[in-house]
Amino acid sequence: MMRIRWESIVFGISMLLAIPPAGVRAQEPRLGGRLPEAARTQVEEILNAARADGLPTDLLVTRALEGAAKGAPSQVIVAAVVRLREELRTARAALGETASPAELSAGASALRAGATADALARLRRLRPTQPLTVPAAVLADLVATGVPVDTAISAVLVLAANAGDADYVAFRRNVQRDVALGASPSAALGVRLRAVEDLASPGQSTGTARGPRRQKP
Amino acid sequence: MTEEGDGLLVRRVLAGERQVYARLVERYRDRLGRYAVRMLGNRADAEEALQDAFVRGYRSLARCTSAERFGPWLFGILVNRCRTYAARQARRQALVVTNEVAVASASVAHGEEESAWREAIFWALERLSADQREAFLLKHVEDLSYEEMEKLTGTRAPALRMRVLRAREELRRLLGEMVRD
Amino acid sequence: MTEDDEAFVKVVDVLKEPVRIAPDLTIRVMAEIEQFPVPGAEPTPTPLRFAWARRRLTLRLSPLGALATAAGLAAVVLAGSRIAAPGETSGLQGAGEAAESMRPTQFVLVAPQAASVTVVGDFNDWNPSATPLASANGGGGGVWWVTVPLPPGRYRYAFVVDGTTWLADPEASAVEHEFGRPSSVVTIGGA
Repeated sequence: MMRIRWESIVFGISMLLAIPPAGVRAQEPRLGGRLPEAARTQVEEILNAARADGLPTDLLVTRALEGAAKGAPSQVIVAAVVRLREELRTARAALGETASPAELSAGASALRAGATADALARLRRLRPTQPLTVPAAVLADLVATGVPVDTAISAVLVLAANAGDADYVAFRRNVQRDVALGASPSAALGVRLRAVEDLASPGQSTGTARGPRRQKP
Repeated sequence: MTEEGDGLLVRRVLAGERQVYARLVERYRDRLGRYAVRMLGNRADAEEALQDAFVRGYRSLARCTSAERFGPWLFGILVNRCRTYAARQARRQALVVTNEVAVASASVAHGEEESAWREAIFWALERLSADQREAFLLKHVEDLSYEEMEKLTGTRAPALRMRVLRAREELRRLLGEMVRD
Repeated sequence: MTEDDEAFVKVVDVLKEPVRIAPDLTIRVMAEIEQFPVPGAEPTPTPLRFAWARRRLTLRLSPLGALATAAGLAAVVLAGSRIAAPGETSGLQGAGEAAESMRPTQFVLVAPQAASVTVVGDFNDWNPSATPLASANGGGGGVWWVTVPLPPGRYRYAFVVDGTTWLADPEASAVEHEFGRPSSVVTIGGA
């Protein structure tokens, strides 16, 4: 009788000391005290699976914390984390196993905006050794500005061959500025894209005049 | 009057009244902004160069040797900033081949209500090299003497005269095609 | 010749026309200088390569943010964007390189009636008490700002005013809606 009580006490103490008995996995410290309990358990499960899959869990934790901060219900938080996990998985398939978390995050944003996995894969082929974080992010931003997805994808791919990150940011800024001045997103992007295309392939433009349009007398 | 006002404000900022710097910014924002916009060709870059110049002006305010000459001193900082930013622009554009038609059509998208003539002027100004544009603006828009320009740019007057001359010739050529139509 | 001279005069006239710079530039300058000591108290100037890291690029400007006296709240976000210097090449960025490519990113909010402002986002675990903004006195009352170093990437964020009111940039062209409340998005450029 005494022995049983002693073992119970030891077990109880080990629980208090958080020595996990076999089978209990590590908990994500960032979630502590932030998530409703129901959500936390499920999110931890998702994190475990993602970790085993080699996906970056930090991004999933951040998404869960966003939901918690915004006061979303548990099931909404869980659904959002699952959704992001799927997007990260798709992004990784398209961008490659060596893609950084920043690239995957931007890739997931692009997918969320409506880009296809194929578009991301093409982007990777055009820019095999440079980070795709900014091009993918700019793609998502352009769509968020109102540019149709296909148009945005074309633009990003056209830039991929020649443009550095700064050019992408400048391109996006130009389009946003044109839109702010009243141009439709498609038109704004179209003009900027044409300029880039003409610059990339001189001699193919149809104009014959030098300089801007002439002033009629 | 303005110069005296500047001197007093500068001394107050140096004495610790940080927020007084805002009045100096207000005073020179548009005037310096004009040069930045003309030199860099677009507002976003100009505002960035401008902000950069004002912040540097604040940080090195103690080195403004004459408080009454704050305006020209700050302008010198801005000219320097614009040169750096213009060089960056050139590097960006160096990635692709220059095509004048494409650049001209791109500039149409700005959505501003300008006549074709005004558009042509800005377009032609952009076609100049940064050195020529800078020299032309300093001489003919900012109305500086070559001596003042020497101090600002660190380039000798003969070279500056040459740049201004080349700039005028180039502008004449580009815009002449417009007029002769 | 006459034609050329007339054209020349016209060119100079046009170029001499006044240019109006948006008043919010003053706000942004005053917010940025807050982080520096009073001039004259500083030691030798920072070398160019570090001063370079303090560049910022105007990403978005809400029209409401233009005037500190405007009623209502608005957000101005300034994000550093790095343009590669000549000779630099960009490669795959590993974790070790991330620290070196952090960009100082300035968040500015015009909120004359606010008692406290914080920013929450992907970069601080959406913690409403992690990143408070400081109130700047220059250029007009109620200008709040903070500078956060961020590695390249895309970040959702929002402002929290007086602990309870969430605010995304009302005109942000990059806005994402999730969890019932919109968040603004800032993209930081890489190498």
